[in-house]
This record gives sequence, C-alpha cells and structure tokens, in this order.
Amino acid sequence: MVLVVSGLLALAEPRFLNASNLVSVGTGMIYDLPVAAGMTLVLALGGIDLSVGAIIGLTSVVTAMYLRSGGSVVLAVPIALAAAGGAGALNGLLVARFRVAPFLVTLGTMSIARGTATVLTSGYYLSGLPPAYIEIGRGQLLGVPYPVFVVLGVVVVFDVLLRRWKPLHDAYYAGTNPPAALLSGIDVGRLVFAGYVASALAAGLSAVFMTSRLAMGYARFGELAELRAIAAAVLGGASFSGGTGSILGAALGVLLLAVISNGFVLLKLSVYWQGVVSGLILVVAIAVDASRRRRNESR
Amino acid sequence: MTSAHTGRVADIARHRLTPAARYTLGLAGAVVGLLAIMAALYPQFADSANVEVLAMNFILEAFMALGMTAVIVSGGIDLSVSAVLPFAAIVTGLLLRAGAPVPIAIGIALLASAGIGALNATMRQVLRVHPFIVTLATMLSLKGVNLVITGGAPVAGFPESFAFLGRGRLLGLPFALVLFAALAVAIGWLLAHHRYGQQVYLIGGNVRAARLSGVNVERVLVLVYVLCSSLAGLAGVVAASQYVSASTGFGQNSELRVITAVAIGGASLNGGTGSVGGSVLGVLFLAIVYNAFGMSGVSTYWQDVVSGVMVLGAVLLAQAAAREGRTRRAVGPGERPAAAQVR
Amino acid sequence: MNDQILGVQGVSKSFGRHTVLDEVTFGVRAGSIHALVGENGAGKSTLMNILGGALHPDSGTVTLDGRPAAFADPSAAIRAGIGTVHQEFGLFPNRSVAQNIFAGREPAGRAGFIRWRALGRQAQAILSEIGVDLAPSAPVATLSVAAQQMVEIAKALSLRPRVLILDEPTSALSDHEAQRLFRLLADLKSRGVAIIYISHRLSDVRQIADEISVLRDGRLVGRTTREASPDDLVSMMVGRHIESITPSRRTQLGAEIFKVEGLTRHGVFADVSFGVREGEILGLAGLVGSGRTEVARAIFGADRLDAGRIWLDGRALAIGSPRQAIASGIGYLTEDRKALGLFLAMTVRDNIVAASMPALVSQAGMLRPRAIRAESARYVQRLDIRPADDRVEARTLSGGNQQKVLLAKWLSVAPRVLIVDEPTRGVDVAAKDGIHRHLSELADAGMALVLISSDLPEVLGLSDRIGVFRQGRLVTILDGATATQEDIMRHASA
Repeated sequence: MVLVVSGLLALAEPRFLNASNLVSVGTGMIYDLPVAAGMTLVLALGGIDLSVGAIIGLTSVVTAMYLRSGGSVVLAVPIALAAAGGAGALNGLLVARFRVAPFLVTLGTMSIARGTATVLTSGYYLSGLPPAYIEIGRGQLLGVPYPVFVVLGVVVVFDVLLRRWKPLHDAYYAGTNPPAALLSGIDVGRLVFAGYVASALAAGLSAVFMTSRLAMGYARFGELAELRAIAAAVLGGASFSGGTGSILGAALGVLLLAVISNGFVLLKLSVYWQGVVSGLILVVAIAVDASRRRRNESR
Repeated sequence: MTSAHTGRVADIARHRLTPAARYTLGLAGAVVGLLAIMAALYPQFADSANVEVLAMNFILEAFMALGMTAVIVSGGIDLSVSAVLPFAAIVTGLLLRAGAPVPIAIGIALLASAGIGALNATMRQVLRVHPFIVTLATMLSLKGVNLVITGGAPVAGFPESFAFLGRGRLLGLPFALVLFAALAVAIGWLLAHHRYGQQVYLIGGNVRAARLSGVNVERVLVLVYVLCSSLAGLAGVVAASQYVSASTGFGQNSELRVITAVAIGGASLNGGTGSVGGSVLGVLFLAIVYNAFGMSGVSTYWQDVVSGVMVLGAVLLAQAAAREGRTRRAVGPGERPAAAQVR
Repeated sequence: MNDQILGVQGVSKSFGRHTVLDEVTFGVRAGSIHALVGENGAGKSTLMNILGGALHPDSGTVTLDGRPAAFADPSAAIRAGIGTVHQEFGLFPNRSVAQNIFAGREPAGRAGFIRWRALGRQAQAILSEIGVDLAPSAPVATLSVAAQQMVEIAKALSLRPRVLILDEPTSALSDHEAQRLFRLLADLKSRGVAIIYISHRLSDVRQIADEISVLRDGRLVGRTTREASPDDLVSMMVGRHIESITPSRRTQLGAEIFKVEGLTRHGVFADVSFGVREGEILGLAGLVGSGRTEVARAIFGADRLDAGRIWLDGRALAIGSPRQAIASGIGYLTEDRKALGLFLAMTVRDNIVAASMPALVSQAGMLRPRAIRAESARYVQRLDIRPADDRVEARTLSGGNQQKVLLAKWLSVAPRVLIVDEPTRGVDVAAKDGIHRHLSELADAGMALVLISSDLPEVLGLSDRIGVFRQGRLVTILDGATATQEDIMRHASA
C-alpha cells in the first residue's frame, strides 16, 4: 500500500523522489513514530489514548519554561519525560484501577493537559531556548539529524520487546481476553497501567524533539497527533477490539500517512484538505478493522 | 422530571425518591448553593445583566446537551457535535450570502446537520464499532470540510432579519433562551413520557432485552443521532446569528463541555439513565463555574482544565454511586445472598 | 393428546459436532403442568429455546394447537401466546417495575404518550393477581433477586399467555416464595394455562407437576407422573448404566499436600474444609450454583476470601491473585472455556504457553520461540489435539479440542495442585475419554487433583473421594469406591 501510494505520487510529481524530499518525508515522521508505537501498545491492550497530542503540548511548554528559567539542558529531557509520564500514570490509574472507560479518561486528561499548557503560556510561544538544547533536535551525524537515530532505535527496540519480551508480549493476552489473562497469571492491571505510561512517554519523546527542532515551547504542539497515531496503528494491523497490532505495522502506517501528506504539499493542494483526508483515513482504518473482524467471525 | 412516573401517592410514600431523583435534587441544591455563594462574594454577580450573560454564554452547549442526553441515555456518545455546529453555521452563512431567504437557509442547514446524524447512526450499525470512534471520524472529516468550503475565512454579510434568532428579544428575554426553554420542555417531555423516548432508556439499559420486547433498536437509534446532530446544527445557526458571521472556529471543544454537562446532570455513560432536566442543571452548573472564573479574574484558559477535571470527577462519582447501589442491594432485607451471587 | 397446545415432534438440534437434542417428542396440554427434568447439559434449555422461538430445530417440527408452527423469533412466539421466563434476567435495571412488566407495550394515547396512571394501575393489577407486594414505581435495580424473578414472571403473565414456560424459576427464591409461586401456577393451571416447568429440583417437580418427562443426553428417556419416587426419577436422570468406561486407577496415595480450612466468602460459601493427598483425585459434586466454582476461584486468588486458610506442602499460603496462586503451585482450569479460558483470536500455540513460563523465557524475560514451539508440539501430540497444526486460531477448534488446549496449558505449567472445573462439559465422547485418561495419568504421576463436575459417572469413575456441595456448604465427603449416584443426588438436592 505504501509502495502503491508512493509510486502514484512519483508518477504524478517526479520531485517526490528527490533525495531532499525523501529526507524531509523521513524527518517529518520523527514526531509521529513514537506516538504511533505507544498507541499500538495501548490498542493491543484493548484501550485507546486520546491524550497523547495534548501531552505533547504540555511537555513542550513544561520543557521550555524550565529551560527559560535557567534550567540545565541535561536535566531538561528527564524533566520532560517525567511530566509526560506523570500524565500517563494518571490515565493508567483511572483506567486500570478505577475502571473508567479509556476514551473518557483520556478525553478528560486531553482537555486538562491542553488547558494547563495554555494556562501556563497564556497561549504564547515560548522561544529563546538555549542553543545546546536546540542542538538535540537539529544536530546531525553523517548528515542525518540525531532524533532520526533515537526514534529508529526506539521503534526497533519497542518492536522487538512487544514481539519477544514476555512481560510486554503479555499485552496481547490481556487485550484479547482480560479475564482469561488474569486466570493465566498475567497482572492485567499493571500491564494496562504500564501501557498508558509508555504511550505518554512516547509522546514526551516526540515533544522533546519538536520543542528542540522548532526552538520553542508551544501549547498547541501535537494537535491531532492522537488521531494520526490511531489511524497509523490501525492501518498497521491494530484493532479497536484489542489483541493485535505491531510496532512495525504502525511504522508503515506512519510512513503511508507521511507520504500522503507530502503528496498534498507537492501537489499544492490546500492544507485545508488535510483535515478531511485525515478524517477519511480514520474512516478507512475503521472499515479495514471492521472487515477484518467480520472475516474472523465468519470463519 | 425523572422517573417517578406512576403518580400513585402510596408508592411515592413507600419509596420516597428514586436514586436518580435524589441525585437531581442534590444537583439543584448545588446549583442554588453555588449561585448564593457567588452572589455573596461578588455583588455584581446577581445583576440581571450578568445572569443573562451567564445564561447566554452557554446557550450553544445547552442546545447541544438536549440531544446529547438522548444519545448518552441510549448508551452511545456523539463527538461530532463540535464539528456539526460550525458546519451548520457555515452552510447558513454561505446560503445567506448567496441570497437565499432566511428560512430556506436555516432549513437546509438543519437538514444537512440531520443528515450527519443519520450518517453516524448508519456507520455505527454497519461498521459495528463504538459510536465514539465513528463520531470521532465524522468530527475530523467534517472539520476538514468546514475549512475547505470556507477556505478558512469567516463568512459574513447576513441580512438584518437573520440577527433576530441570536440577538432578538421575546417577552423581555433573549429569543434564543426562549427557544431553548421551549425545546427543553418538549424534548424532556418526549424522552420521559413518549413511547419512543422510553424506548431510548430501554435500549441503553439492556439492548438484548429491548429487542426481545419488540423495540426497533436501529430505528430508534437513527432518530436519536439525528436529533442530536440537528440540535448541534441549530446551535450553529444561533451562533451564526449571534456573531453575525460564521467561522470554522465555532464550537471548539464544545463536545467535551456538553458531555461533561450531561454527565454532571446524572446520565451514566453506560446508558440507561439521565434526564433532560438533569442535563439542563448540568449545563447551568458548568455555566456558573465558568462565570465564577471570569468574575474572580482567573484566566479563561482554565476552562479546558476545568471541564477535563469535571468530566473525570463526574464519571468517578457516578461509578462510586453505582457501586454503592450494588452493595446496598446485595445485603438488602429480604435477600438470600447465596442465591443472589451464585450463578 | 388432542388437547395438546404446544409441543415438538421428533426434534433434533446440534451445535457443531455436539448433538444436544436427539429426536425429542414432547408436549403440554391446556390446564396442566408438565415438568421437564434432567441433569445439567441434558438439553432442557435448548428445548425451551426451541419452544420459545429463540432457536430453530435442525429437524422435526414445533406444533401449536396440533398444527406445525415455525416461530421466526421470540416475538413471534410471544404473539402466539407463549410466555417464557428465562433463567437469565431480561430486565431493565433503572426502569420501574411497571415499565419492566410492560416494556415496549406501555399503554399509550394516540400520540404515543405513555399513560402512566394506566401503566401503574395495570402493573398493580398483575402484581396483585400473582400476590406479590411490590410497588409498581420501584426501580428494578433496588429489588432483591427474588423480587426481580417475580417481576419476570409478572412480565410473562402480562401477555396473558396460553402457554407459560419457566426455566428453573425457584433457583433464586426462598421456600416461602417458591410455595407462593406454586400456588400461583396451580391457579393459572385451573384457568386453562398450559405450563412447562423446567427444573432439576425434584422436590419442586413432585409437588406440582401432572406429568414429568426426563431428558438425558438430549434424548427423552422417560415419562412418568408425580407419583414416581425420587429414586426412580434420579435413576432415570442419571441412567442405569454408565456409558463410557472411565479408567479405574488404584495407586498408592501419598501424604496430604494440599489443605483448605474454613473457607468463607460471605453470602456465597461458608466454612469449606478439605484436604487432597499426593496422587489423589478429590471429586466435588453438587448442583450448579452450589458454590463449587466459587470456592475454586477463591482458592486460586481470582475472588476475595472473607475467611479461611490454605496450605500447600505444609506451608500456609497467602494468595492475592491468580499470579501468586500459580507461583505457589496451584492451577485452575476454568469451567467457562470461551469467556474465561481461551484466547479465541490467538493461536493454539499462544494458548498453550499463555501461563507457563519460566522454562520458555530467558533470564531477561525474552521468549524463546524454539522452546515454545517444542513445548506446544509436545502437548499437541500428547493430547492428540486436532488439527495438529498449532498455528491455527483457537476459535476454529471443536469444543473437545479447545478443552484439550486448556488442559495442555495447565500441564505445561505443571502445578502441584490442579483444580479442573467441568473439564468435559460440551465435549464429545472420544475427547471426553481422552481427558479422563490424562487426568488419571496426572494423578498417578503425583499431582493432587480437585475435580469439579456435574457429570456424575465422571465424578464416580475418577474420584478417590467425593465431596458434595449444597447451597454453599460442603455437606459430606463420600468414599469414591462405594458411593453411588443416588447417594450424591440425595446429599446434593435434599
């Protein structure tokens, strides 16, 4: 599918295959990849996380405020991840412990996180970050920005762990049939909690790179990121009913979305169409999921 | 307003109040208490001007809450309302600018909104996914459509007569408020006393049993989602009239505020409970809290934080109440617990 | 038989390879009560669902007033005057009693607005008629289970049915409430209503039934009257001879390694104590709902215990979760294969290795695919799981093979004590034999087994001792060598 879309795009607009364009498609995926990976885990566990986009905004603001108050660049990243992880822990607690429907919990925390970020900044950009911090996102090794390596590493490690590491692999059991997983000795509650924390941490990582590369903290960073992540994960094989999905599949989903949106830019279509298309992509993802389920049931 | 319907004095005496009715009364008490506190703290709060501002600030959410109540009672949810609102405003605006007569423009906008609701219900049924996901997709696509048809620019230049809806006055009150009150009474009455209204509760309470009782579940659900979308559309038309323009920015995050208000009003997100009266109180409660923020000079940016905290709080509270109800039942008099739980 | 209202003629029904009803002919006459008795799984509920239009027979006909009738769905049966009271509640918890009785059929004016006064009045009339003191306006969620059961009955009666089918209606009622129900049924009978009464409570049946039909393994094995003695009924229900020969085993039993004392969960079971020796199979018999599964779940840490102690190998255990139970050496094979046992959308291999772990993961917790493949293949072969390809989804397997997959999962864990709950329910004869053989092999190998089963020949054939549960209590422990089915039934349903 990725290949088909890429091929069509290359035919329609030869510039698609320019090395510089391909690099820009690749770096454009830095932000979405970790979030989609985290979302895959949450979906595999039978949940959903709508708060990741807002967590990106909150983390970005917190990081920028810390740096502007003279904080150390070394500590800025751990602090960003702690802020994100804290929000994820709140999600995990409410879903795993208090059994509130995940979409409600994360809709609520989405609003809280986005609102808090806006309150903290009164809606303004926070620029003037120290150059050393900006270097984290913009610095290059062999002509490739650092974040590309980090994100690729995270995706590969995450993929292997979800595939092979027993404590994480149990997510598939927990998402397929939670009571049966419990009776098989799997601590479903702890796993679900960990899933939301991991998803938030991934969003935090995305926020670190966004804040650094764009050299500012902004409350509205990460808008609609949760929806792109859901679409990518579902296109990559995850299901709203839990128990399936892979990080590699989600990464391909992100790639597909990136190619499509690159196509928009190249073909000079109005950015306004992007909203329609992302909605339609979600509809397509839902339909794909529905037909997969139907096929399974009819067997 | 809630479910003590049979009207037999003896029954009411025997059972006093249903838990739902008790909750609604408690909420009404909280609203009154909040009003009193605000009036004591801020003398200008009780001004008739401020009261009107308070009511009108949440008039759009109030319209939407009427339909959302029906959706949530049926066990569903509709996130697309926050896109339907600007959509209806923009459709009205574009038609008016093109010279369409006011009633025609409004009619078409409302019909288009109703169509979105029918689409939501149909997708829910065909794709068999939770309405939350379906309506999320609709919300996204429709927000995109809004941007595309306006090119992102506000639509303005409406005839004078159109402004009446949002700015006119009737009986000394804002016209929109009067319209809302009439709709609230009508929809509340339908939901509580009409067969179809009661079927919404049956569906939300136990879908399988509702089917076995001969309820046409799919048809009722289509009506419910159409109602919800149409009211969001009406809110959009009112907004366009109020601001004498239509913008894609209308109704940002309003779905969350509306769901919060309905949840505060006593509707369980698991379906089967809730009432229009409760939801109106829920909207009022939210309106007062937001107004209080304005009064005390706290940034309006806090609003999103507050609605997030309140939606979580309302859900946790409802869950605790449900748990309490269950345990009380398990040890209630005349019960044989062994038989109650072994099955 | 010419005044028979509702009946079935030569009806058969299978689910997959499992035949639930085999050529059953049965009917009820106006103004009489016909009881249908049989053990769990004999096919009573399936027959009821066919009569009530919820299921369609594979062959044979349903007759109404002597003419063939095919009900498209339950509402068609309702229109034909057949009222059904199911075991599961079909109620709306947040609606009032009156609304539940008339759900979907509320009295309404021409515009469709409900006439609440009329609704309350009509509900009150029905409630008074059946002698139930409930307020029509009370929300059903606030009622006791017994009262909810009465609302179900009122709902069925509000249809003025010609035929009333009740499935285990007294399972949630106290004696006093049950007697009131019986008086009501006698009254309905005198007014010409035909009543089909499904139960395995023999005392109830002998009190009210005019005719009694006995189902066993999907076949109608006898028809008698209430004059039949309980012993006759029991022997008809369980069969005079045991069809499948369960392996007889006599090994040296070792020391008592597992012991529970005073296990109590308020309102569910109380003061349950027993011990199991190395190599022993302790059978637990009793009616469905007598508390056996609940005790097992509590031992396994899936439900909370209010009191009681558990020892394994002389050590007192504090078990807070299934995870701890497994780590301590206790396994539990659930009775509810699909809901609580299998991961239906996952492969057979995934299912087999779901709980076992230390041997199949490296120290760092990484799965070892080769070891997993070998482990899975070993059990597929040893238990003869079909198809032999363990990469197919568990949902595609037959019931018997699914059950073997669950057993394989626990064999792979190799606990010291294994509790198996209805290990052969809904399983064909060949698979049943296989599972029996494996269970006795496990015991012979020194495992302590607790066998919960409603299949009396199975319990008798496999168990060294048999504990009998009644209403949340372990009432007696019989010697497996000398106990008879009649002994067990007497203790279980006294």
